[in-house]
Amino acid sequence: MPYVLWFDKAGKEATSLVGGKNASLGELMRADIPVPPGFSVTTEAYLAFVSGELKEKIEKILSQIDPTDMASLEEKSQNIRQLIIDIPFPKKIQEEIASNYQALCQVFDTPEMPVAVRSSATAEDLPGASFAGQQDTFLWVQGVEEVIEKIKLCMASLFTPRAIAYRVKMGFSHEKVLISVGVQKMVNARAAGVMFTLNPINGDPSKVVIEGNWGLGETVVGGFCNPDKFVVDKVTLEIQREISLKTTECVFDPLRKEVVHKDIPPERREIQCIEDQEALELARFAKKVEAYYGCAQDIEWAIDREKPFPFNIFMVQSRPETVWSQKKREPLLGKKSAYELLLEKALKPIKIGV
Amino acid sequence: MAQKGFPMPLEVQYPKELEGWEEMYPPYYIFSEERRDWEEKHFWYHDKIHAPEPMYPLDLIFHEAWQISLSQYTTRVFCIPPAQGVAQRMVGCYMYITPVAPPPQELIGEKAALFQKRVFYVFDHYDALWGLWLKKFRALGEEMANIKVPSEFPKFEPDETVFPEPRGYYTSYELIDAWDRLVNAMIKGWQYHFQYLNLAYLAYLLFADTCRKLFPGLSESTIGKLVAGAYVQMFKPEEELCRLARLASAVPEVAKVLKSDLPAEKKIEALKKTAEGNDWLVEYEKSKDPWFYVSCGSGWFHYEGSWTTKLEIPFGYLKSYVERIERGEKIERDLPAIDKARAELAEEYRKLIKTDEDRKSFDDTYKAVRTIYKYAEDHLFWVEHWFHTIWFEKVREFGTLLVKNGMLKETDDIFLFNRFEVPYLLEDLATTWALGVGVPSRAPYWQAKAEKRKKILEAAKKWTPIPALGTPPEEVAEPFTVMLWGITTEKVQEWLKGVAVVPTEVTELKGFASSAGVVEGKVRVVKLLEEITQIEQGEILVCPTTNPAWAPVFTKIKASITDIGGLTSHAAIVCREYGIPSVTGTGIATSVLKTGDTVRVDGNTGIVKILKRA
Repeated sequence: MPYVLWFDKAGKEATSLVGGKNASLGELMRADIPVPPGFSVTTEAYLAFVSGELKEKIEKILSQIDPTDMASLEEKSQNIRQLIIDIPFPKKIQEEIASNYQALCQVFDTPEMPVAVRSSATAEDLPGASFAGQQDTFLWVQGVEEVIEKIKLCMASLFTPRAIAYRVKMGFSHEKVLISVGVQKMVNARAAGVMFTLNPINGDPSKVVIEGNWGLGETVVGGFCNPDKFVVDKVTLEIQREISLKTTECVFDPLRKEVVHKDIPPERREIQCIEDQEALELARFAKKVEAYYGCAQDIEWAIDREKPFPFNIFMVQSRPETVWSQKKREPLLGKKSAYELLLEKALKPIKIGV
Repeated sequence: MAQKGFPMPLEVQYPKELEGWEEMYPPYYIFSEERRDWEEKHFWYHDKIHAPEPMYPLDLIFHEAWQISLSQYTTRVFCIPPAQGVAQRMVGCYMYITPVAPPPQELIGEKAALFQKRVFYVFDHYDALWGLWLKKFRALGEEMANIKVPSEFPKFEPDETVFPEPRGYYTSYELIDAWDRLVNAMIKGWQYHFQYLNLAYLAYLLFADTCRKLFPGLSESTIGKLVAGAYVQMFKPEEELCRLARLASAVPEVAKVLKSDLPAEKKIEALKKTAEGNDWLVEYEKSKDPWFYVSCGSGWFHYEGSWTTKLEIPFGYLKSYVERIERGEKIERDLPAIDKARAELAEEYRKLIKTDEDRKSFDDTYKAVRTIYKYAEDHLFWVEHWFHTIWFEKVREFGTLLVKNGMLKETDDIFLFNRFEVPYLLEDLATTWALGVGVPSRAPYWQAKAEKRKKILEAAKKWTPIPALGTPPEEVAEPFTVMLWGITTEKVQEWLKGVAVVPTEVTELKGFASSAGVVEGKVRVVKLLEEITQIEQGEILVCPTTNPAWAPVFTKIKASITDIGGLTSHAAIVCREYGIPSVTGTGIATSVLKTGDTVRVDGNTGIVKILKRA
């Protein structure tokens, strides 16, 4: 079993190896959606790493946990995560990660190419993506060493106090919960955000709703800003825009070598962060993704700073929309015929009060 | 004052120059003390769609007819349960209308039963009913065209009217009778006009409702696009011009004449000189009746003229079409493609519907609206254009007779008298003729009246009537009010704001986003059809409202802005077909914008931004 699998080689059939998030990237690639390339460090690698002595140590600490004692939980969790960080990967895994990262660097002819490192839980993991943790996405990771370090941090996130407590409460075995980690080329985003293949406010299935801000998508995903909003009709491609006052963006700071929140200069605050043509292109991709999956999607996207349109548009994540899709599908028109609806209409005056 | 800011009808102050305006219209058209309570409870707004200009007394006949006809179909025939009619009043030569407050609850139930029985029947049989309607209507038009108006009062009645049996009635009676028949035909034609129109609008509103339940954010313009038919009779005049232009461009001699700068009359003379020209004229005559019986405006005003009276209009279009054919351009709209695009659009939305039940309801309502909405599109040519054009021709025969006999100075002065007054003039004339020779009529009295009324109408043109009077309603059930006049909460509020608008201070106009796209450019303000020859390639057309006679100009402009008209207005439909942005129903575009101003027209949001004043 491979320790590393490139996204384009692993779709939903490989979910147990690469986790849901990474498998969805593979699926997007199969649907001809532009996705920044990268690879998954598989659950197989995790299993190979967390075995033998390390496994025993973890199990021992876990067995001492009293889930009702918050302080103890916190401490034990910390101990486990420290173990994962301190103990080096087996040589084979280390080498696989290094050589594949270097291959990725070579594709773009960029040594130490920035990547995003994200955990990707398997199906047995906690339901509700919210729980996979917020600490397990690392942006702008550069160089083999740092990549390996962040991969370990992602693996360690399986043992946050919350994750442990949840498994105990639900009666899941710690052993059966596995994790994969994605290593993906970072998009140097001029603007980024999320979009839905329906209007999340009213469930209108004829709309793609795009929210975006300047810089990396984290401000939108994390809700740190008032994003610009574009409602695009899937059929006519008419666009309605709500341009917000945007004050903060998330960008990479080359001096501090990290992603920072920065004030947006006044001249960019009130102008739309993506062009109409970019919004339309995003909407087209959204429709394609929805059609590919056959259900409403919640998609993260980014627009590259340097590439020319339309090659600057990337999807970095897609997952099923949950709110409206889980509603029971009741007919909105109550199974009524035109005559029944007409009579209903004819009986109802139109309120136009001032 | 009204609490919300609109004055009460009886509080309106008129300029001194308008003094005497009331006598031009029937007394029940004037706000009055004895109906004050009822009138103040209603919301009266200036009908800018049908009567943007001061009303000539005789042109009021169409409105008199529709007030009755539209209303009776709602209240007494098809019985739209909570709706009543639309009432009219004149305010200083401008027409105001109001949807009448709903009837008492017990009547609503009674009406609902009749509504179901009658309306569903029409929906089920519409296609056959339309054929019957058209036959009936065309027969009425022919009847009107065949009314014989005496061209003069003979010195002595001719022998044929005496032998072998004296006829028993003579020119004096024929004249009065012809007028009565003409008026009756017009009133009847307008009774027919609304035969299915209320139902067509209701079906449209129903479909719009259905769409919004399925797709809450669906735009008005998309709903309009889904409903609009490609094969609309109102576009036939333009199609006939295209056909004639094609025929002409295949015959160099004919094309040459049509492309020349000669006046239309001279072109016809020149064409008559050659065999090819005569062949083409035969085709022209074939198209002319009925298709060129089309008003140069909306059909509501005698002064607009028609393609049969203002030959420069069709011949001007023909010239430009022939030239465009020679440049290799396509002049025809591709109707099958337009129809296909509409069908595909509907299919795309249909696919987005989540349940089979909803898809069925959608199909059902879509089918209903596609069946009957055709009436809204097709009746227009036959009534407002063809029928009105015949009417105006006939009325002018009376006008000519009155001028010939010294009663009036100009033929069109007859339009300064309302339909009840015209018989006074005719009777006065008939009486003096019958009395013998040397008997005076009251010609100077009628002429003085005509002069005075001309001045009042001139003064009224300079006066800006306020958009609305009385008390804004809480709800409206009358389908035309919503559909045609676009009376919505927003509109009422817009008007409230607009009561004190200073045109030069306006920087932005808001209307209906009728056709998508954004362009910037210089505007050309066109108030009358004659002025459209001034439009230059790439300008943005600004006009009170457009109608089918303007269609050929849409290939030249890059956007349009109108004062009035909703999403199914002519400008909106044509712009969508030509793929150019359009903002309709801004209310004030022609008064705020001046030719040469630079604006940005956003057909997606319905906003027109004034970028630079000329």
